[in-house]
Amino acid sequence: MKTATRSLSAFGDSSIKTPSKSRIQQGCHSAGPNISGDHINLVSSSLSSFPIPQRSSEEKILYSDRLSLERQKLTVCPIINGEDHLRLLNFQHNFITRIQNISNLQKLISLDLYDNQIEEISGLSTLRCLRVLLLGKNRIKKISNLENLKSLDVLDLHGNQITKIENINHLCELRVLNLARNFLSHVDNLNGLDSLTELNLRHNQITFVRDVDNLPCLQHLFLSFNNISSFDSVSCLADSSSLSDITFDGNPIAQESWYKHTVLQNMMQLRQLDMKRITEEERRMASVLAKKEEEKKRESHKQSLLKEKKRLTINNVARQWDLQQRVANIATNEDRKDSDSPQDPCQIDGSTLSAFPEETGPLDSGLNNALQGLSVIDTYLVEVDGDTLSLYGSGALESLDRNWSVQTAGMITTVSFTFIEFDEIVQVLPKLKIKFPNSLHLKFKETNLVMLQQFNALAQLRRIDQLTIDPQGNPVVNFTLWKYYVLFRLSHFSMQKINGTEVTQNDMIMAERLFGILAHVASSELPQYRLISILGDARKKQFRYLLESKGKKPGIINEENNDSKRLVGENTNRATLNYTTRDFYNEKLEEIKEKKKFCKTYIEDLVKEATEINMKNEALQKLWPQMFIELVRDAVIEIRNENSYMKLCLQQITDQK
Amino acid sequence: MLSPERLALPDYEYLAQRHVLTYMEDAVCQLLENREDISQYGIARFFTEYFNSVCQGTHILFREFSFVQATPHNRVSFLRAFWRCFRTVGKNGDLLTMKEYHCLLQLLCPDFPLELTQKAARIVLMDDAMDCLMSFSDFLFAFQIQFYYSEFLDSVAAIYEDLLSGKNPNTVIVPTSSSGQHRQRPALGGAGTLEGVEASLFYQCLENLCDRHKYSCPPPALVKEALSNVQRLTFYGFLMALSKHRGINQALALPDKGDLMHDPAMDEELERLLAQVPGLVNSVTASPEASCLPSRTPPRVGSPWRPLHHSRKVDGESDGSTEETDESET
Repeated sequence: MKTATRSLSAFGDSSIKTPSKSRIQQGCHSAGPNISGDHINLVSSSLSSFPIPQRSSEEKILYSDRLSLERQKLTVCPIINGEDHLRLLNFQHNFITRIQNISNLQKLISLDLYDNQIEEISGLSTLRCLRVLLLGKNRIKKISNLENLKSLDVLDLHGNQITKIENINHLCELRVLNLARNFLSHVDNLNGLDSLTELNLRHNQITFVRDVDNLPCLQHLFLSFNNISSFDSVSCLADSSSLSDITFDGNPIAQESWYKHTVLQNMMQLRQLDMKRITEEERRMASVLAKKEEEKKRESHKQSLLKEKKRLTINNVARQWDLQQRVANIATNEDRKDSDSPQDPCQIDGSTLSAFPEETGPLDSGLNNALQGLSVIDTYLVEVDGDTLSLYGSGALESLDRNWSVQTAGMITTVSFTFIEFDEIVQVLPKLKIKFPNSLHLKFKETNLVMLQQFNALAQLRRIDQLTIDPQGNPVVNFTLWKYYVLFRLSHFSMQKINGTEVTQNDMIMAERLFGILAHVASSELPQYRLISILGDARKKQFRYLLESKGKKPGIINEENNDSKRLVGENTNRATLNYTTRDFYNEKLEEIKEKKKFCKTYIEDLVKEATEINMKNEALQKLWPQMFIELVRDAVIEIRNENSYMKLCLQQITDQK
Repeated sequence: MLSPERLALPDYEYLAQRHVLTYMEDAVCQLLENREDISQYGIARFFTEYFNSVCQGTHILFREFSFVQATPHNRVSFLRAFWRCFRTVGKNGDLLTMKEYHCLLQLLCPDFPLELTQKAARIVLMDDAMDCLMSFSDFLFAFQIQFYYSEFLDSVAAIYEDLLSGKNPNTVIVPTSSSGQHRQRPALGGAGTLEGVEASLFYQCLENLCDRHKYSCPPPALVKEALSNVQRLTFYGFLMALSKHRGINQALALPDKGDLMHDPAMDEELERLLAQVPGLVNSVTASPEASCLPSRTPPRVGSPWRPLHHSRKVDGESDGSTEETDESET
């Protein structure tokens, strides 16, 4: 007995000391005294088809507790008679398909069936003392029929076809479980294995691991060459306080950049990773990196929140814009049709809003450049992003009045307007000129640009290098000539690009060719007073816009004065081509009405006077001949008598004195 | 012009016929508008310039629509201005939509109504798809008829509708002046069964219209000529015929169709402007100014702030106009 236990313990020890699967196998197979099959004769009984081993009595006494039948070309388990005290039974390297005929060996402690063709675990129900069961390299598909093996210490099922871990929860003395090279896709159902210290799951297809934190003694866990790709799928490992040695090599997770420090950070209890000791340095690095990751995550979360908020706001602005446009359309249609159809309340259905692409300006990458000046209110959105100022919704135009830091304002080279009426934008262009002097690229989308004339308003800016008019919401782009008109009217800017395409010399020539005469007519054929009044008008308007702004400073107005004078000198040619927003135009016409009325009455009075005078003149013309004749007749009659006439005249003279 | 009959009219009517008052009122109104600027160089000068520009036809540039359509002379001037400014667009061969032509009109008259342009487009497109492209000359001739005779055309439309629906406005007045025209068929109700209306009947109504109303109508003889070839016509067919009729055209603003793209004076000016396009190394023209440094201001416009006693170059000329415009005004 002692020898048996000794050999068993040696046997068992060796298996513990050699954790790698191959060595277990080797340990299993090479421990113990070599029993070659030469001493054993296999006699086939006539009674049954099973062979019966027979050995000499000396051997029986020498090796009474172990029997080795390896490489015997066995296809079935032989019936073993008279050896009921056997403790170690070795059937390695045979062709056995079923475990049978060993139910009588109730003292069996170790059963080795490595490298056979067993398809099902069975026939073990009487082996209540079994401590080591080696079933590696067989064809077992399912773990089952282990219910009575409560003393099992080592269970080796490597190299089989097992797909699921089951029916082992009662093995509370199991210390080593080898399920390498099977077909496991996940790990769970491990509760109850209270003694398990080593779990070998190499070379499976495991994607996630659960229940490992229910193994209080687990120290070594081998997950090499599986399919684990994120730490979340093995998150239970972090909760296992006993784990000290783990391998992940050959998994997708090991290729990730964050692999090492994430594992180290989450499993502070680890001593060895992928068969290498973990140094203090590594741990420190890991925690530093993990903190960085955390921060990054927080930052990106924040940014995605902001993004979402922005998107919602833009959606809201878009909806409002759509509403506005529909109302305006209905109004103009009703004006035109002059219909007396009942005015039904417009059921503006928000859900019918046509989808528009999400407006996401280029977000700054990196954690260092946080978004500046992000101001989000429900009805409009102002966003500054590096060199781009984006305005959504007409409320955003007020933001131009804010106190922008010189640095921020100086960096802005692109200004983008979306969901704002162009007429409203025109009014703030002077402000734009002053506050953002470096803005060279203007973008317009959904701004209701419908007339070529509206481009005239852009001439008042200092400079434009690029112009982008998005076809969406800007019908003017449908015109054939719009680009040429822009080039013509804004020729003093020497624009580089329109809607992304370079402006070529030919374009400029074509623009001049098409509209050059218009400029000529507009400048040289207008009477002088018209020229003055139109130019004066434009300047007055700009003053008005400026004065209405909040941050007015006298210095600015002077600068404006010089500016516009310079502007006038630059291109008198086209300066008369102005754009007045419709509202202002109507206002002006209203103002003129009074004057017109006055003029009408004044002219009428003049005409009346003139006609009266004319009438009188005519009347006089008619009467004059007669009157003249009368005068002459009177005179002749008077002088008929020379003497008395002389006396009369002298008399008159003396009387006068 | 200086016929004795003009003296037979009472004063007010005479003035009204010549639209003198319209211009006087407008002149005074303009004076009031800009009195600060004009007072700089004198009222007499202002009136001179104003009426000069009326004669030349440049007074309607960038004016409000109510003024542009106020008198026939204004309308003619506007049409001419439009032709001269945008002839190059036509020469380029672009076909544009009605909306784009409207835009071009708005460049010269900011509140030009869309309806007129639409009506003109309808003439060209024969009331078909309104988004079709039109050539410059087609549009221009149709627009001329529509704009100049807009009131007349409205009445004609009403008459046409009446005829279509079988009513004959002739039953109201019966001027049986020329017996040769009594060829109308007794079946008055059958006037509208086929497409359009009968030409002769239509013409009769038009003649009455011209006699009755004071606003400008095309000369009846020419209208008769236009209608002479057809038996029946539709409203837009009639308008199309009008717009293509050479005689009517000559009475108005525009040159003949063949000459529409031809304006040598302006072309010369254009070449000069093109030469000034910055960066243009190989100038297209042989004009001597091509070698000048590009300066954007055309030479003839003096500084607007120069007071009166500095006579401008332009004043020396006959009526303050440039040489080119003189030529083209013939």
